[in-house]
Formats: sequence, C-alpha cells, structure tokens
Amino acid sequence: MATYTYEHIPDQGAKAGVLAYLATSAVVLLLMMVFGLLMRLEQAQWISIGAIRFYELMTLHGAGMVGIAAIAGASIMWHFLRQYVDLSSRIFVANLVLFLVGVVMILGSVLLGHFHGAWTFLYPLPGKSMGLWSPGAAALFMGGLLVIGVGFLLLHLDIARALVARYGNFSRALGWPQLFGHDDGKAPPPTVVASAMVTVVNVIGLVVGASILAMMLVNLYVPEFDIDPLLAKGMIYFFGHIFINATIYMAVIGVYEILPRYTQRPWKSNKVFLASWTASTLMVMFIFPHHLLMDFAFPKWMLIMGHIIGYLNTVPILVVTGYGALMIVYRSGIRWDMGSKLLFLSLFGWAAGAMPAFIDGTITVNYVMHNTLWVPGHFHTYLLLGMVTMVFGFMYYLGKPSHEHDDHLIDRIAFWLFTSSVLGFTMSFLYSGKESVARRYAAHLPEWVPYDRIASVFAVLVIASALVFIGRFFARIGLARHDYQRAPVARSVAA
Amino acid sequence: MIAALARPQVGFRVLGALYLLLAAPPLRTSLEATMSGHMLVQIPLLAAIGFVACRLLPVARQERLLDAGGGAVPYVVLVVFASTWWMLPRALDDALASPLVEAAKFISLPLLVGLPLALAWRRLGPIGRGFVWTNFISMLAVLGWLYIAAPVRVCNSYLVDQQESAGWLMVKLALLLFAGWLASLFVGGGGNPALSTAEQVAPPPAPSRDCGPERN
Amino acid sequence: MSDAARSVVLTVLVTVLGTGAFWWGTDGFSAFTAETARRADILRAPRPLPAAVLEDQDGRVFRLDDYRGRLLAVEFIYTRCTTICRSLGMAFKQIRDRVPPDALGRDVALLSISFDPERDDPASLKIYGGSHGADGEHWRIARVRDAAQLQALLDAFGVVVIPDRFGGFEHNAAIHLVGRDGRLVEISDLEAPLQFAEKLAEAL
Repeated sequence: MATYTYEHIPDQGAKAGVLAYLATSAVVLLLMMVFGLLMRLEQAQWISIGAIRFYELMTLHGAGMVGIAAIAGASIMWHFLRQYVDLSSRIFVANLVLFLVGVVMILGSVLLGHFHGAWTFLYPLPGKSMGLWSPGAAALFMGGLLVIGVGFLLLHLDIARALVARYGNFSRALGWPQLFGHDDGKAPPPTVVASAMVTVVNVIGLVVGASILAMMLVNLYVPEFDIDPLLAKGMIYFFGHIFINATIYMAVIGVYEILPRYTQRPWKSNKVFLASWTASTLMVMFIFPHHLLMDFAFPKWMLIMGHIIGYLNTVPILVVTGYGALMIVYRSGIRWDMGSKLLFLSLFGWAAGAMPAFIDGTITVNYVMHNTLWVPGHFHTYLLLGMVTMVFGFMYYLGKPSHEHDDHLIDRIAFWLFTSSVLGFTMSFLYSGKESVARRYAAHLPEWVPYDRIASVFAVLVIASALVFIGRFFARIGLARHDYQRAPVARSVAA
Repeated sequence: MIAALARPQVGFRVLGALYLLLAAPPLRTSLEATMSGHMLVQIPLLAAIGFVACRLLPVARQERLLDAGGGAVPYVVLVVFASTWWMLPRALDDALASPLVEAAKFISLPLLVGLPLALAWRRLGPIGRGFVWTNFISMLAVLGWLYIAAPVRVCNSYLVDQQESAGWLMVKLALLLFAGWLASLFVGGGGNPALSTAEQVAPPPAPSRDCGPERN
Repeated sequence: MSDAARSVVLTVLVTVLGTGAFWWGTDGFSAFTAETARRADILRAPRPLPAAVLEDQDGRVFRLDDYRGRLLAVEFIYTRCTTICRSLGMAFKQIRDRVPPDALGRDVALLSISFDPERDDPASLKIYGGSHGADGEHWRIARVRDAAQLQALLDAFGVVVIPDRFGGFEHNAAIHLVGRDGRLVEISDLEAPLQFAEKLAEAL
C-alpha cells in the first residue's frame, strides 16, 4: 500500500465566472423552490391555479432544477479542477451564456407557448398535445434543451482537453495504472478522477440526448417519421439519468477538497477509491432501465440489468465517500462551521436519498411504487439534502470572512431549520408514496390532502432557510473573490 | 498513411488515379447501385480525396488559404452545408438522373467538403475537433434513423430495403465512430505533465493528423 | 478587417449562401425527395408528354393523343405486382366510382399503363383489369410495346422502375392527371384517391 500525505493547497478565491454560476443557480433555485411550493399548495387545495398552470410549473420546476444542479455542480468542479489542470475561462463563461439562452427559450416555450409536457416527454408527448400547445412551443422547449446541451458539451470537451494535456489520456486521469497495477501513491487527486468520470459519462449522455432531441424535432414537424416510443423513452432516460447523477458527482468534489483542508488529512485516491469511481463510470450508464421497470414491453434482460446494476451502483462511490469523510473527520478535532457542517450533512442526504431508490429499484416494489410520490421523495432527498446542500456548503466556504470567523446565530438556526424542514418535506413525499399517492397529479383525493398540507408547511420552512443561506452568500460575494485562508485549522493539528 | 504519400508528387498521382477510378463507369456504377455504396463509400471517399489532397499542399499555402477564408469556422460551416446537401435523398436521385449533377457531386465533394475540412482541422484545436466529431456522430445516427423510419421510399432510384439497410449502417457506423473516439481518449498520450502547456499552442503541421482530439 | 471580424463576416456569408442554396434546392424547404420535387414541379408547370403507341387488353392499338379533349387519369403498373399496384388499382376503382356516370368516357377516362411489356401481354392485362373492376372501355389496361417510347413516357411522367431481386419491380406509385390539352398537370398520392376524385369533379 502506498502512503498518502496531506499536501496543502491554499484556499483560492473564486473566479468571477464561478460566482456568476453560483449566483445564477441561487436565483433560479429560489424561483424553482417557489414554483415547487405552488405545486404543493395546489395539491393541498390552499390555492387554485388550475391543472394546466400546475403542469407548466412542474415542467419549469423539473427542467430548471436539473439545469441549476448541473450549473452549480459544474462551478464546484471547475473551481477546484483549475488547481490541477489548465481550463479555459472563455468556454466556462460560454457555457453559462448558452445556458441562459436555453433558459429564456424554455421560459418562452412554457409561459408564452404553454408547453407543459415536462422534460421527460413521456409518450405521446411532446408531439401529440391534443391542441394544448403548438409544435412551435414544443420545438422551442427542445431547442432550449439542445442549446443547454451544446454548452455543456463544450465545457466537457474543454475539461477533456485539459485532462488529456496534463495526464496524457483518460485511463491515467481515472488512475487506472494505480488501480490495475502497482499503487505508487501517484494516482491523480480525487478531483481529477471525479472530473474525468463526469466528463466521460456526460459526453456520452449528451450525444445520445442530442440525438433523441433531433429525432423528436423531426417527428414534431413530420409525424410520419415515427419514433419507437420505447426507444425514445430509453434514450431520454439514458441521457437524463446520467446528467442528473453527474451533478452530484461534480458537487462531491467540494467535499473531497474542502474537508481535507479543515483537518489537514489527505483524501486518498487509493485503489478502493479509484475502483469505486471506475465502477460507477460504467454502471451509471447502465442503470437507466430502473426508470423503465414497469414498461413490460422492454426486453427482460434490460430490466434485470437495470435492477442488478441499480443495486450495485448505490454502493461504491457513496460508501467510499462516506467512509472517507468519516476517516477524515474522526478524532480530527475538526472545527465545525457552516461550510463543514453542510458538507457533512450533504453526505448523509446523499446516502438517505439513495435508499428509497434502492428500494424502488426492486422490480416487484417498482410495479406499485414507481408512479407514486415515493420517487419524488427519493430524488428530493438526494438532490436537496445531498446535491444542493453541497452547493450551500461550497457557498459558505467561499464566503467565509476569515478562518477564525464564527458563524452568526441566524445561520446556525437556519442550518437546523433547513435540516429538519427538508427531512419533514421529503418524509411527507415518501410517506405519501407509501400510501400510494399518485405522482405528477395536479388534483389530489381528499384523503391525500393532509400530507400535501404538511409538505407545504415544510416547503415554506425550506425556502425560508434557503433564503438565509443565499442571502448570506450574496452578502459575502465580494469576499469570495479573494485568496485567503478560509478553512479553520483543526484542533488536532493546531495543538 | 503510406509513407510514399508524404511526397507530394507521388501523393497527387495516387489520389488522381483513385479519383479517376471512382469516376470510371465500372466502379462508379457498382458503387451507385446500392444506396449504402453511394452514400457511405463513394461520397466519403470523394471527400477523403479532397482532404488528403489538401494535406499534400505546402503548409504555407494551406495557412494562406485558411487566413483568406477567415479561419476555421467559415470552413466548417461550408463543410456542414455541402456535406448535408449530398445527404438529401433528392440530391442522390438527381446525381443518378443527370450527368451534370453527377459531375457537380464529383467536383463539390473533394473541393467543398474534403479540402475545407482539412484546412479547418489544422486550426480547430482539441475542443473544436471534439465538437465537430460529437455533432457529426449524433447527426449521422439521426440521419440513419430518418432513413430507417421514413414512411415512404425516399429515393426513386433505390429499393426501399436498401434505404433501411443504409440507415442501419449509418447508425452502426455512428456507434462505432463514437466508441472509437472515446477509446482514443483512453489510450495514447505521453502523460508527461511538462507537455501540458504545449497543448495550448497551434497544432504541429503534421500531414496525417485527421482524427480525434488526442495529441502529444 | 481584423481576423475575428473577417471570420464572422465569412461565416455569415457562408450560412446565408448555404441556406439560400438549400432553399433553392428543396423548393423552399418543402421537397427533400425527388418524388415531392417532381410533384411540385408539375403543379407549377404542366409538362407535355411524348407521343406513344399503346396496346390495350383486347389487343386494340391506340395513341395517347387519342385522349385529347378529355381528362385522363394514369397509373403505372405491372400485372404480376402483388404490393403497391393493388393499392393503385383500388384507388383507381374508387376514383372511377366517384366520377359522374354521364361524364365517364365522354369527359373522363382512366388508363393503367404497364411498364413490363415483355410479360404483360393482352391476356394478362385483361386478367389484371378484370380483377380490379376495369371495364376495358372507360378504364383500359395497356402496354407500350416500343421500348424507347416506354422509356420516354416513363421519363416524362417521372416514374423510376427498378427490378427488385424477386423478378418483380419497385417503382414510385402515384395517380397522374393528364389535362385536356394532353399535358401532365398533377401527380397525387395514391393514398388520397377521394381528393383526386373531387378535383376531377371540379374540373368537369
């Protein structure tokens, strides 16, 4: 076994581009949270916006949240990867510009064209809208997604270029010589390994996604060119699953980089770590069929593959990362501040969020659970308490005025309010799912309304605490640009 | 690439011979007898002749042409339009029906697709190349699907099952190219950190660099 | 001009020219296949037809020009065809049944032309006609015996016939309307015989 020692890399201020990414994410996140709240309020029968508005909001909420998760994740990855390889700022900014153009197109499609077929386009959507929206509106929505996809493709190509320039090829960037041969302790740092993994899977996902979007655009205007609905669904979920999974794999880089700075212990890219990332690189591409388990028309082997790999993929990175984080923190005398607390919480959120998916990935469970609120329960835990919490942790880290600075009382309160209200909010989803409350429905049966009301109250509290986090980030955005020590030195090191 | 081709006079002669061979009736008619032969063999070969011919030109000449054309981007756009044109079912039919259109095809593919692509490739850099590759691959797959899913016979000159087999070939080719491109990211490369800055400068004027963003 | 500006200007120029070329080459982004182009073209400019001598199912010899002064619906078939020609025959029957009885023969006639004169002798033409309900007078089944005349006729109508590997042919199938002046005026989809019949009725 190779030995790993902590190599201190000083805390760096964020480039303006990173802050622009984070600011965009923060603003859109709040707006989408409000949209989500409106949907819950509609189901709770406290407001009445009508079914069409509901599905419009759902479409925006879904596409918007996936979009900002990707944007925020990319900003974390880019910020830290820049320490190791030479990345292009122009392409980084170009991606954000293209993203905003895509967002405008999507907003126009939904708010003016009344498209409300959701970005998952379940058959026979988006083409056959029964007159509820025009082909133009659907085309604008898909065009917006394509523009966003082009931006991310460029970003990943730039990362690929930089990784190849520094490490020669992707095998080395993923640490294969150390994984399959002698571990000389010179494997690339975790940030590089994670970035390489995300780049490989996202480029594949984006090419497949662009293909199906182009096919659906043709089908929209020339319906005679039929798309096999199962093929379309498979391709959409292949892309969608990879893309949303990649957001957390990008954001976790924040954990790999920031926690070691607090405790001065290395995050080791040892064989176990490398193996878990290589395994997930492959598996993340083959688990999308777990979205299709109730589609009996799919070939059986595909569903079984989705079932098995879905089980397996829950484990590697999550366990390795969780164990790694515990090892870094254990008896380190870490000084807990908002940044480190949120990052640690995010790992719990990630693990907790993965469990419902693990259960739902069982074919027999899936038959009865998949179209209930159980699944939104899973991905809200996973994304809100996992992915978004990592982003909040990163924001606090960047904006921390000095390494000795103590958190305000209001932030501490907001942390506990956020933790408890997110748990309450996601638990009400999961409990509703257990009670077979249907998913994606604007109207709910009277028996279901109490759960919706509880969820609405928690959602208000989530938004309130997120407002504190985001308000604090914007208040400190000027500090975030400067280079100075942010991470407090752990007691074990200081002593 | 064959070593002899590096010597321009020999190279041009070989290319000229290949071009004439493609234009001569026996090979031309046999390739054009099937849609796959026409779209996936003859047309790419004609473009490839233009590409290689461009590489045989003196480097200074290529650079001048690039400058005159405003750099890589206009050339890539030109390639996109010209190559898309010959993917239209109508253009395929017309080429078979009219000698004039056939001649236009034989001239435009090397001149408006192969040559400008070879010029642009010099200056594209890894990102531009990756962008062109990935877009080309996904559009090839989509075009294949179009030919498979077409509800009508799109070419009057070809049987409907040829259309489908050409479509499947395109999809398979797209998958193969994508796998190859990805694999090229995983192998090769010196892996010498010292080379990382050399990446940023213009690509070296080696004549046979024609695929993938792998360098060093 | 700076390099960047030059690049932008030329990119725009190429895009405009390229789009223009596609606009021109696809009749305003409407005709991507030769078949749609052929139909659009004829609608714009009715096409004169070459002279042709035909022989019908009873061995009677006549000329295409004999139909001048009447509207003539034309389809191209071969009698052993088991696929698309059947749909064509069906479509023709539907059209015939919708022509007002007093106009049939006097002002409207139907003609099925075989492009396989080698094997489609009058006897086979007669069987084909019988099985599709052709009466042999107002709707005749005929062949063009002269190979050169047949090719000229096919070219003029824009019909491409290629042998498949099973002894039959693959061909573009449509319903053609020849005007009173003997020019090809319209090509319709064989899936829309009723619209064709309506157009015929309007032209009466």
